[in-house]
Amino acid sequence: MPPETLRIPRVVRALAFVGACAVLPGVAAAGSGPTPRQQVEERLMCYCGCADLTVRVCTCGTADAIRREIDARLENGETPDQVVAAYVSRHGAQIRSAPSKAGFELLAWITPFAAILLAGSVLVIVVRRWGRRAPAGGTGDSRGGSVPAPFLPEDQKALERVRREMREER
Amino acid sequence: MADFGALCLFVALATSGWAVLASYNGWRARLGELVLSAERAVYATWALVFLAVLSLQYCIFTDQFDLEYVASYSNRALPRLYKFTALWGGQAGSLLFWLFILVSYASLIVLTNRRRNRSLMPLVVTTLMVVSTFFLGLVSFMSRPFVRLAFMPEDGNGLNPQLQNPFMAIHPPCLYLGYVGLTLPFAFAIAALATGRLDDTWFRTTRRWTILSWFFLGTGVLLGGWWAYVELGWGGYWAWDPVENASLIPWLTCTAFLHSVMIEERKKMLRVWNLSLVIMSFLLSILGTFITRSGVISSVHSFTKSDIGPVFAAFLGLCTLVSVGLLLYRVPMLQSEHRLDSFVSRESTFLFNNLLLVGAAFAVLWGTLFPILSEAVRGVKITVGPPFFNEVMVPIAFALVTLAGICPVIAWRRASALKLVEKIQVPFWALLGAVAALLLGGVRDVYAIVSFSLATFVIATTVMEFWWGTRSRQRVTGQNAGSAFLSLVDRNKRRYGGFVVHLGFILIVIGVTGSTAFKQESTASLRRGESFSVGRYRMVFEDMVSQEDANREFMGARLAVYDGQSRRGTLVPGQNFYKAGQNPSTEVDIRYTLRDDLYLILTGFDPQEGRATLKAYLNPLVNWIWIGGGVLILGAWFAMLPDIRDRRRDAEAKLREVESRAA
Repeated sequence: MPPETLRIPRVVRALAFVGACAVLPGVAAAGSGPTPRQQVEERLMCYCGCADLTVRVCTCGTADAIRREIDARLENGETPDQVVAAYVSRHGAQIRSAPSKAGFELLAWITPFAAILLAGSVLVIVVRRWGRRAPAGGTGDSRGGSVPAPFLPEDQKALERVRREMREER
Repeated sequence: MADFGALCLFVALATSGWAVLASYNGWRARLGELVLSAERAVYATWALVFLAVLSLQYCIFTDQFDLEYVASYSNRALPRLYKFTALWGGQAGSLLFWLFILVSYASLIVLTNRRRNRSLMPLVVTTLMVVSTFFLGLVSFMSRPFVRLAFMPEDGNGLNPQLQNPFMAIHPPCLYLGYVGLTLPFAFAIAALATGRLDDTWFRTTRRWTILSWFFLGTGVLLGGWWAYVELGWGGYWAWDPVENASLIPWLTCTAFLHSVMIEERKKMLRVWNLSLVIMSFLLSILGTFITRSGVISSVHSFTKSDIGPVFAAFLGLCTLVSVGLLLYRVPMLQSEHRLDSFVSRESTFLFNNLLLVGAAFAVLWGTLFPILSEAVRGVKITVGPPFFNEVMVPIAFALVTLAGICPVIAWRRASALKLVEKIQVPFWALLGAVAALLLGGVRDVYAIVSFSLATFVIATTVMEFWWGTRSRQRVTGQNAGSAFLSLVDRNKRRYGGFVVHLGFILIVIGVTGSTAFKQESTASLRRGESFSVGRYRMVFEDMVSQEDANREFMGARLAVYDGQSRRGTLVPGQNFYKAGQNPSTEVDIRYTLRDDLYLILTGFDPQEGRATLKAYLNPLVNWIWIGGGVLILGAWFAMLPDIRDRRRDAEAKLREVESRAA
């Protein structure tokens, strides 16, 4: 049955589409990102030990001290990258909240997408092969050791009940 | 009582072991009596484990602190509710509780299949009781709940303060019901593979059990988020913690199965894939337990670390070996009966939905395990935290939301591109309308615009599906709109329950987007009478308050909350000092509204200067996550109800079974 749809004039549709295409990149450019302080807080884990949280959300005293140091460093003219690097050199790579996007750690970022792309490609190939192939026969039929159960008088009653139910359903 | 509990577990180990041997040998030798004996042993195991659980609860409630478990996780002043929840507050107790759920499920399966699926049941019982025997071995020899101390302490250490929250009465049981429930479809899949009875009996029998497990696991994940929100005091609900991830991963693969099994039902395709998903979900639930228990990855949920990790790893390896081996052995019998007619079809959208869901599960698993890989390969410890997961998961989630919008309107077998365009015309205009409204409303966050507009698209396609269905039914039956709608959903509970689940999912997406993209925060150190603001709210610090009961002492800051000039109430964020514990526990206070939550945390108090240090978050739309969860639960429950087609199919299956025995 054909779906019922609302009819919208073509001119309106075209204008809306062009408008959306023109506006969205502008929105992307205008999007206000996090401040430099928030960027650094998000990139560092709090080492207080009470929870595995970033400095951005951790509420303990250690996180407060880190935030004060971040402010001081940024005021002294360091870039967010330099502040993070200073913490990594002092506390090790574990203080970063996410792997870096270089060297071995790049593997963490690309593997999920590579796996999905690879699996997607395999899926496309398999689906195409299915499309060309004739239907295969045979279900997994009954083989193997089933345990026979005796046919009891109540089974006869059940058989009659089931037949009656099916007649009623129809 | 403790000795009685321990004895029950040892006897249960014997009955469970007997159930394994008797059911397997009964199947091999075709001895119905032996199989019956195994099934009775399942009931006996359940009764014995139930008695062990009662024994432990009795010891907790009667303060028997000479028992190591009671001394570690309870104390005299602990409220009754938390004495009850202390059963799963520690490792040995939670494993016992896990075991109790498993043998309860096993007993129910045996009870409901006394006259059905007789060819599969022996190996279903074998599989379930192998898992039960493993857990009984753990609680009998490695992580024992009934170990006695050499002395009797005056009082116990008490339950972890973070677990003294009403959510802990329901969140872990829900998660366990979900995790353990995944054993049931796994057991039927193993039985089908081993016996070679690979028709649709195994998944038809377990479909409702699978939805039930998915439902409990999802509810558990959601309640876990809610617990984190009100208890952990950092203003969020999901931190991509390894233990949180461990519960999300099998839920994602289970979701994939619930979609792809529809293709197997209709077209007898994806049979290897569906068996793989069921096996994968079970193995991932065991992996999740391994992550939770072993302490191999650091986590905020590290309430219950121990040395049982290697045993779990060995069990996981054994289960993987057996199930993958069986699957490979049966691959020649699992050929598809039909082919995919077109790329533009409901089937292909389900395939891509599966790709994304399993891809999402893999991404979460990969991120969770990558620190171990890094340490093994380079010897460098790294952290994979929220920024990684947010960046990787957001594009996958957007793709899934898009599919949730397209999938319901695309036809089975072969859809014409023209029809598809025609069907998504109105939802597409709704999407563009949402983009325009958001822009006019001043929204400039790209992620938020994409997320909200895709959500609008899905809501529009789903609502239109209900509308089209109702109109068609009206034309066929001549009923009025209300009756046509009710009979439509009543006749297709699974389909329309599924759509309600989609709507719940979309409400969750809206809540997550709002509370992430538009979150505001503010911190202040205030003297009495001073105020600070976040968003539209202004909070005035009035005074410090304290309260004490037998279990804890509470100290909080009382703040008057104003929205403009109107006073909206009083919030009292504070900290609990538990008498049995060492560290204070943050107690946030929240003003809930559908528009946003005002979330206040007391991070410190200086009595000398009379200053309270406070942090405030304004979390927009966060309550839509919990409402969406409720809608999702409602939809899943509705989809589980039998409809006319299910009843007819069940009747036909019964008829086949009875007739085959008569012949």
